Amino acid sequence: MQSRSAIDTPKLTQVLSLGRRGAMGLAAAAAAMVAMGSSTMAFAAPSGGALNLAMIGEPQGLDPVMSTADLVGTIAQHIFEPLYTFDGKWAIAPMLAEAMPTLSKDGLTYSIPLRKGVKFHNGKDMDSSDVVASLQRWMEVSARGKSVAKEVDSLTAKGPHAIEIKLKTPYAPLLAVLAAPTGMAAIMPKEVLAPQLKQFIGTGPFKFKERRPDQFTVLTKYEGYSARSEPASGYAGKREALVDELRFVPVPNANTRVEGAMSGQFHYSDLLPVESLGRLEKAGNAVVPIVTKNFGFPYIVFNTKEGVLASQALRQAAHTAMGEGELMAAGFGDARLFTPEPNFFPKGTPFFSEAGAKFYNQRNPQLAKDQAAKAGYKGEPIRIMASRQYEFHYNMALVYAEQLKKAGFKTELQVVDWATLVQRRNDAKLWDVYFTHSGFFPEPMLTPPQMGDGAPGGWETETKKKALAAFNGEVNPQKRAAMWGSVQQLIYEEVPFVEVGKFNSVSARAPKLQGYQPAFWPYFWNTSLAK
Amino acid sequence: MFRFLLNRLLGAAVVLALVAVFVFALTRMASGDPVALLLGDQATAQDIAQAREQYGLDKPLPTQFALWVGELLKGNLGQSLFLQQPVSQAIAERLEPTLTLALMAVLIAALIGVPCGMVAAIWRGSPADQVLSTIAMLGASIPSFWFGLILIQVFAVQLGWFPASGYGDPDSTFGQRVQHLLLPAIVLGVLNSALIIRFTRASLLDILGEDYVRTARAKGLPERVVMIKHVLRNALVPIITVLGLTLALMIGGTVVTETVFNLPGVGNLVVRGVLRRDYPVIQGTLLMIAAVYVFINLAIDLLYTLVDPRIRLEKK
Repeated sequence: MQSRSAIDTPKLTQVLSLGRRGAMGLAAAAAAMVAMGSSTMAFAAPSGGALNLAMIGEPQGLDPVMSTADLVGTIAQHIFEPLYTFDGKWAIAPMLAEAMPTLSKDGLTYSIPLRKGVKFHNGKDMDSSDVVASLQRWMEVSARGKSVAKEVDSLTAKGPHAIEIKLKTPYAPLLAVLAAPTGMAAIMPKEVLAPQLKQFIGTGPFKFKERRPDQFTVLTKYEGYSARSEPASGYAGKREALVDELRFVPVPNANTRVEGAMSGQFHYSDLLPVESLGRLEKAGNAVVPIVTKNFGFPYIVFNTKEGVLASQALRQAAHTAMGEGELMAAGFGDARLFTPEPNFFPKGTPFFSEAGAKFYNQRNPQLAKDQAAKAGYKGEPIRIMASRQYEFHYNMALVYAEQLKKAGFKTELQVVDWATLVQRRNDAKLWDVYFTHSGFFPEPMLTPPQMGDGAPGGWETETKKKALAAFNGEVNPQKRAAMWGSVQQLIYEEVPFVEVGKFNSVSARAPKLQGYQPAFWPYFWNTSLAK
Repeated sequence: MFRFLLNRLLGAAVVLALVAVFVFALTRMASGDPVALLLGDQATAQDIAQAREQYGLDKPLPTQFALWVGELLKGNLGQSLFLQQPVSQAIAERLEPTLTLALMAVLIAALIGVPCGMVAAIWRGSPADQVLSTIAMLGASIPSFWFGLILIQVFAVQLGWFPASGYGDPDSTFGQRVQHLLLPAIVLGVLNSALIIRFTRASLLDILGEDYVRTARAKGLPERVVMIKHVLRNALVPIITVLGLTLALMIGGTVVTETVFNLPGVGNLVVRGVLRRDYPVIQGTLLMIAAVYVFINLAIDLLYTLVDPRIRLEKK
């Protein structure tokens, strides 16, 4: 994860979040809510000044449509806005759309009203032609958009301030995907749209000023911003630029981010090493540590296509040997920073389910050995690939290799750098297991990529297709939430990947930064500097 | 002189050509796919293939090499895959912090190293010599990242005298940016001064044993004159060499310090280029560093003639 996620590039922990469910809006993770909380600024915040924000690296660009990197989304969400977003409870809420869509009875047609009087940073009013053109580009160039395009029958303007999306079959994740800040369905003026953006013009509370790669990306307050009238909640509601300038500074060295936070040089330091929490807590009034709960999850991908673990029975044996609790402890140390639990979604959220829990954290070498023998294991080495770019991947891999050995498996640890891992995992001949992680998304279809098609590991069974078709074809949020258990159960049985547990992130802010609400993709509208 | 210059320039061209081949081969031998990194986890195999074609990475390696060299001969270092800007621009933007840092560090190293080395040599075997030699040995052994973190902790976090990292705000003046370089320059300067102390001491000791020094003293010249006119002047040749080489090494060798202090310099560009597998950046920057190294060597040779009249380039 150097951007924010392992998924995307190099970084320490990636955040991700997302909401789920379409018109319905899921209540999200209790912990996640703590993180995002609802945040109206009841106090009279001072305005002006510039925020220095230490980020984990240089963004791959500023076009949030092209990239699913969290860092790109984190910065670009201040410039660009989508039709929908997530509120403090991870429910879908309108942003550039005037209201939630009207859905036809057959679940195929979404009629979306657009806000009037919204101005782009070039001064032009947004209308439906901009929205249609932006969504078309999104469906052509964005990885998320391409997956939606397969489901879309037509996309049309209905007058200057409404659009209509017709689907081929009901597709429940639609609004969650439209709301995602990464691979964002960002709305831009149609005249600036190009396969590769030359101008970064959106509708957000901040506009692009300057980017000097590896030094800073500077955004300035957009005076013509048209804010929503609802109270701020998570990413939704009223957004207000209370400072004049945002300076996103790439600081890839985690220790440097810590020192910068403690010296007061940065008003916000993103994704700090978990070991630094103690120091931050002891720093007195100099810095405020931030723990964002349920920030993400490590997961271990199994090669279901080739090699020794292509056998489902052997994958089950390899999972029986695993002690997820030990792996989390090895990866994150401080018990305040992780939760080993079998449910993919936290308790209190719509997708909470304990289906398959009996397969979690078994750490049963004898049973694993018996299962492996029964499955015809002949001592072939299990090639475990991990990177030290994220030390917790490596630490977990070491422990898992030992757990496998105790169960009689031969193991071969391949420690490579992150760039090598993301290349090698695309070749099924080269590995059996690899370690990675993702930010937490309330919509199951947004991560990990193994939930979709064509991801490393090659999980493409008929049972998967059938289960996901039913799950995603159900547009009633309550019914769909209840159906998640069967998908989770299937993942535990077929073992294409193992979701190891949940971890919290550590970041820090200066005491004078006011109004900041912990978030997976940190945002700085509605934040100000105390004088 | 002209012939010497021509020969050296031809030699430099050969060295740079070899470096180009070597760097290209090394970057392509390393595993890791820049496109997979760039596009992220959600990218499909088709997306990756399309991007590889767009960046010309699908072409056979000899073709890619020929295209790169062709552009180099036109003065074009290529386009960064990650930064979406020309490599020459990326390097140019990072030269100021690196060069300023390197010059400040060499100055600090010289200000500490030369006087200390002289003291150690002149009072050879004295307690001062022993203390300085020990300090030099310790200095050469301290890891720069550790020293950097200590300085940050004391002078930035505790005392708040200096910024902890970076190269100033977007609207900062050159003076403010220099302030950001002070701590890293002290790290590099102090660590490199250890080498200068030892080198200065050894050079002076060599020269103090020369016949012409004995002769000068026998003629009754004051010790001050002997030291400055006869000893120090002649000792300057190797000292200039080592200072010059230190400067050259710093152009690409401040990697650790730039990383610890988050300076957007050339060393950092290379490291980040490697992590991102940004081939054009790695190739272009390493080639530029090699060129700087070669030409600083050349400049040192030319300086010899100014400092030591016994060296006549024409006779070489």
